[in-house]
Amino acid sequence: MSAPLLRVTGLRKEFGSRRILDIPEIKLEAGKAYVLTGDNGSGKTTLLRILAGLESAKIETYEFEDRALPLASLRDWIRYQVIYVEQHPYLFNTTIAHNIEYGLKVRRIAKPIRDTLVSEALDWAGVNHVSNVAPRHLSGGEKQRVALARTKILNPKLVLLDEPTANLDQAARAQTIALIQKMCQENNCVLIACHDHDIIRLPNMNILTLADGTLQTPSSSGVKLAVIS
Amino acid sequence: MDLFQSTRDAFHLLFSGDRELWGIIFVSLRVSLTALAIVAPIAIVAGYFLATKRFLGRRTIVIVIQGLLSFPTVVVGLVLYMLLSRQGPLGSLHMLFTPSAMILGQMMIVLPVLVAFTISAVQGADPRAHDTAIGLGASRVRASLTVLWEVRFGVMAAIFNGFGRIISEVGAALMLGGNIAGLTRNIPTTIALETSKGEFAQGIALGFVLIALALGLNFTLARFQGEGGLK
Repeated sequence: MSAPLLRVTGLRKEFGSRRILDIPEIKLEAGKAYVLTGDNGSGKTTLLRILAGLESAKIETYEFEDRALPLASLRDWIRYQVIYVEQHPYLFNTTIAHNIEYGLKVRRIAKPIRDTLVSEALDWAGVNHVSNVAPRHLSGGEKQRVALARTKILNPKLVLLDEPTANLDQAARAQTIALIQKMCQENNCVLIACHDHDIIRLPNMNILTLADGTLQTPSSSGVKLAVIS
Repeated sequence: MDLFQSTRDAFHLLFSGDRELWGIIFVSLRVSLTALAIVAPIAIVAGYFLATKRFLGRRTIVIVIQGLLSFPTVVVGLVLYMLLSRQGPLGSLHMLFTPSAMILGQMMIVLPVLVAFTISAVQGADPRAHDTAIGLGASRVRASLTVLWEVRFGVMAAIFNGFGRIISEVGAALMLGGNIAGLTRNIPTTIALETSKGEFAQGIALGFVLIALALGLNFTLARFQGEGGLK
């Protein structure tokens, strides 16, 4: 088996005296797609945010590409490799094209290359028609697709998607799932927190189940098992 | 007083390029814009910090800053006068009755306005804005700048308010500048003193300039402000 892209051990999270997460080990492999299921309030969002370095937790080791990273400045180390997309993505108050371009500007990519990549990403997500529109004029499905395009354009090694199809109508859901499927096929490692059976049943999807604050043995959905100790 | 005649004289002064009048306008602009340029970056950073960080004493600092919003400018002038006068602790700087003293006074007046409005603007920002910027790879500084850009309507409002407060204040400017012709005489001190001497034309002309400045600057800055409103 190849070395994991991400390996986190001894992950614990508490809010006051209440323990939310207690996960001895979680491993994610490069190029694989994972779905994280669990009841509402089971800590899926918290886990994703912790893995993205956006929320603090007690962690013994955080290894990315076989390298143990300093926990105090975790986000600084993984900021170009790991992207977390919120359930209701926030789009900056500018045009959609500028939203998609944001991460490239942060990475100081030259303007001509940025323009080409943004154009490709707009096509990829099917949001070309709204490229110069302000976010407030977009539907929920379009916002989600823009958020996915904004993520995909950066080609991160790990994408963490939080309930990407929640509150979307049938057509928007189908479009979003199609994009997620494309993203999974493009060799990104994707971890998706959701209850959506259409995502869970995607080909080669590995299932992680969060219950009682820890990752459980995968359910009997017939899909390939996740790498969980 | 013939209001019509005074207004006609005022326009004549303005459009004939009267040196004294335009010198007064220049002093006003130089003092207020310098004070604003020095204080704005510091105040916006301080406002952002106070809006986003939690630490012991933060609430007290915010309450004091909000209290300073209603501090009479003449009292700011009085305090600085005492500090800068020859017998005062800063008397050796020989700043009293200079444009520098006026700038210092206006900096003290505009600081709480900018900090308080920035706190209010940043606290009203969507908390996801910062996380999204960080999540897309922005550094903490870059993410903070992104949030400030997101709330630029409020931050620009802070700058408008701050400028409006100092360009038109008379108390501190009079006490610290001394209304010296060609040196520290600015628009509000001239209006206040010349009118009391019966010189209405200059006062009216400068009044028009103040109004034009307020509108002109607002239109200019509004271009950077965005539309605001509910998203």
